[in-house]
Amino acid sequence: MDLTLQKLKEMFAAAAADVAAQEQYLCRLDAACGDGDHGVAIKGAITAASDAVGGASNLKDAFFEGGMAAMANSNGSTSSIYGTLFMGISDGIDAGAESLGASALAKAFEKGLSSMRDVVKGDVGDKTCFDALIPAVRAMAGRNTVAELLDAAAAAADEGAKSTANLAAKFGRARNLGEKSIGTLDPGAVSNAVIFSAFARAFSQK
Amino acid sequence: MKMKKFINAPENLTAEVLDGLVAAYPQKVALAEGKIVVRAKPKSEDKVAILTLGGSGHEPALSGFVGEGMLDASVVGDIFAAPNAVALLAGLRRFKRDAGILLVVLNHAGDVMSANMAMKMAQREGIKVKSILVSDDISAGLDSPVADRRGLAGCIPLFKVAGAAAEEGKNLDEVFAVAEKFNAGIATLAVAMTGCTHPQNGQPITELGDDEMEIGMGQHGEGGGGRSAILSADKTAEIMFGNLAKALSLKEGDRIFAVVNGVGATTPMEMSIVFRAVKSLARDRGVEVVGGIVDELLTVQEMAGFQLILCRVDDETKKYLYAKSDTPYWTSLGD
Repeated sequence: MDLTLQKLKEMFAAAAADVAAQEQYLCRLDAACGDGDHGVAIKGAITAASDAVGGASNLKDAFFEGGMAAMANSNGSTSSIYGTLFMGISDGIDAGAESLGASALAKAFEKGLSSMRDVVKGDVGDKTCFDALIPAVRAMAGRNTVAELLDAAAAAADEGAKSTANLAAKFGRARNLGEKSIGTLDPGAVSNAVIFSAFARAFSQK
Repeated sequence: MKMKKFINAPENLTAEVLDGLVAAYPQKVALAEGKIVVRAKPKSEDKVAILTLGGSGHEPALSGFVGEGMLDASVVGDIFAAPNAVALLAGLRRFKRDAGILLVVLNHAGDVMSANMAMKMAQREGIKVKSILVSDDISAGLDSPVADRRGLAGCIPLFKVAGAAAEEGKNLDEVFAVAEKFNAGIATLAVAMTGCTHPQNGQPITELGDDEMEIGMGQHGEGGGGRSAILSADKTAEIMFGNLAKALSLKEGDRIFAVVNGVGATTPMEMSIVFRAVKSLARDRGVEVVGGIVDELLTVQEMAGFQLILCRVDDETKKYLYAKSDTPYWTSLGD
């Protein structure tokens, strides 16, 4: 089964619900090395994105409007990261596409990631959302079905998020803690894994 | 520990703070749509506009320095969080002018991302804008790259210098040049004795033991430098001044403007005692303190501690620091 607009709406709704359920946990993670507001920021961004996707009339517009809404309805790094990611994914989708197969979806996420990296510095190993997002997008390549692609992305994001416990922060506010940040999970990577996991689950649900 | 603050609904914090500021100083500032604080009496359009962006929760910074002689506007995000690029673009559009805009950006990940995105979009629309990055914090080490230095309260004397140069009628390149010169000579170190709580979620940010202090604490209480037992005002000033002097390579005959910026719970009494020590440490090295500020300019909630900011000055930048300004928290009669 390919990705349709209807499925995408269900995926974003699931991501918004899961992130909202984890809001306090994400804030606590952030308080260990940042200022304790990541849960609030990511909930604002994903809820707004989900609302915008819910009102969109095609896949390309859904990602663009979702990105604009995520950016305009949150603050700080989260607004730039998810805004540029979703708008970039939209750039990677053909106008008028009614559904996306595995290779088209992988290509769109690839485009989203590269647009975001034009604005946001960082790489795997820096203890940021990139530790989940980059492996997730890489894991999408060469998959046969959308279900397989999303499952692989969710697994890679989860593994990447867990790996941040062993890393010292190099970016964002946490970088000033350096080695002291080892032992804590990066909240941005964890919330990214929550989103990919919700996407995969919602897509496979009948 | 339960958070003790006089607040209402956490989600309305920023809006209520800004409402209060413009209610108290209606002759100086006004609120524009989208959490943008502007001057009550706009500067004429043939002069360069000075804008900045940043989170709230650091009052009176940044919006308390909007007004004649300093900022034209501050685009405000949420507590400790930069405004998004869409909001910043709205601010840049509002000040679009042939004379151009100087955007002062504090070096924090979120601020820099929003600024980069908004500048890209603004330039596509033909808005003339240049940005200057404030990265005055030296706690990451004297040899650390600029990218690793946070922007702390050194932005405030910079607003003053850039604002005065713009008020004088200098063009964008000239305002940028004087601001860049001044910016290159600012170094800041912070010290904290207690952590603080995030006013929206009540989460503690960095906890320090009863008998501990930490030099190198950031703007949001995020830890950074070294912890030690609590030291006296003179001893603390000596360590901080020594590092700052090294960062600026201060030598005999240099002149500085010094700021002791209280971050919330440290009293003006303590801050004055520290300033006295700074003046004497400078004298020992043959460095002249031309003047300074002992006040709360940029706070970190109820944290106890201060930021010590040293700014190298010459005749031109000293003149701008003492030029006429009329903002809620920095008023100067000028010459």
